Amino acid sequence: MNERQDIAVRDEQLNERKVQVPVVAPLVDIAENDQEILLYADMPGVDRKDISINIDNGRLSLSGLREVKPVGAVSWEEFGDIEYRRTFSVPQTIDVGAVHAELKDGVLLLHLPKSEAAKPRQIEIKTA
Amino acid sequence: MWTRMRDFDRMFQAMDVLQSRLNGLFQYYDRPRLPGAVWGLSESGPRANMYDTGDNIEIRLEVPGVKREDLSIKLQGNYLEIKGERRADTPEGYTSHRRERGESTFTRSFTLPADVDAAKVEATLRDGILTLVLSKAEPAKPKQILIS
Repeated sequence: MNERQDIAVRDEQLNERKVQVPVVAPLVDIAENDQEILLYADMPGVDRKDISINIDNGRLSLSGLREVKPVGAVSWEEFGDIEYRRTFSVPQTIDVGAVHAELKDGVLLLHLPKSEAAKPRQIEIKTA
Repeated sequence: MWTRMRDFDRMFQAMDVLQSRLNGLFQYYDRPRLPGAVWGLSESGPRANMYDTGDNIEIRLEVPGVKREDLSIKLQGNYLEIKGERRADTPEGYTSHRRERGESTFTRSFTLPADVDAAKVEATLRDGILTLVLSKAEPAKPKQILIS
């Protein structure tokens, strides 16, 4: 057993320290009307530039990295560095090119507009 | 005969408890939680950090989606109370598919470890984090003592 472990140990020392940030799923609200789907995600403390939103092959993945920069001595800490990550399935009817996002008060709001073909249409009956 | 009936009742009560527990399981299933944090902590108020920089005490609170005007901060001696209200931000005319964030009111209070100068408190709200910088009262500030 011991011999085996020795073989697996690397000779070189890795100077790079891998920082493990805990990953949690942000709380979300999802609402829909005829025009679009809205997605609200709570991401307190995440900077705009640390958020990435990817839509690929019908999957929407959100990721936001928060860095809590402590000052002085820590008396207590209930929240720290964290990565908010969550993946959703996006229906085919979404116009991917028109998706836009805003960040306000630590809440990310995604607008997912429906494509023209998916919007409900009222069909008028013409008089013959 | 009556004692038998009571046994049956007790059995059904136990089943009800089990059922409610199982229902509760799914409520917490995909809730985010910090490793090591107690379940249901988010219900008892927003998470807070406290730092001591010597001259100041800094408190940070996670308040996503809470507007500036919906927060109230009260300081009385070394007792600090932060109240807030979070309102629904879903506009009218939308049907809701998922509601995890919800509306809530919260209160969180702290007993500060040192006396603070109530006139010198700075509060900022940025990206859903409320930061309070409280200046310590003169006697509570650290002093450098020179050796003569």
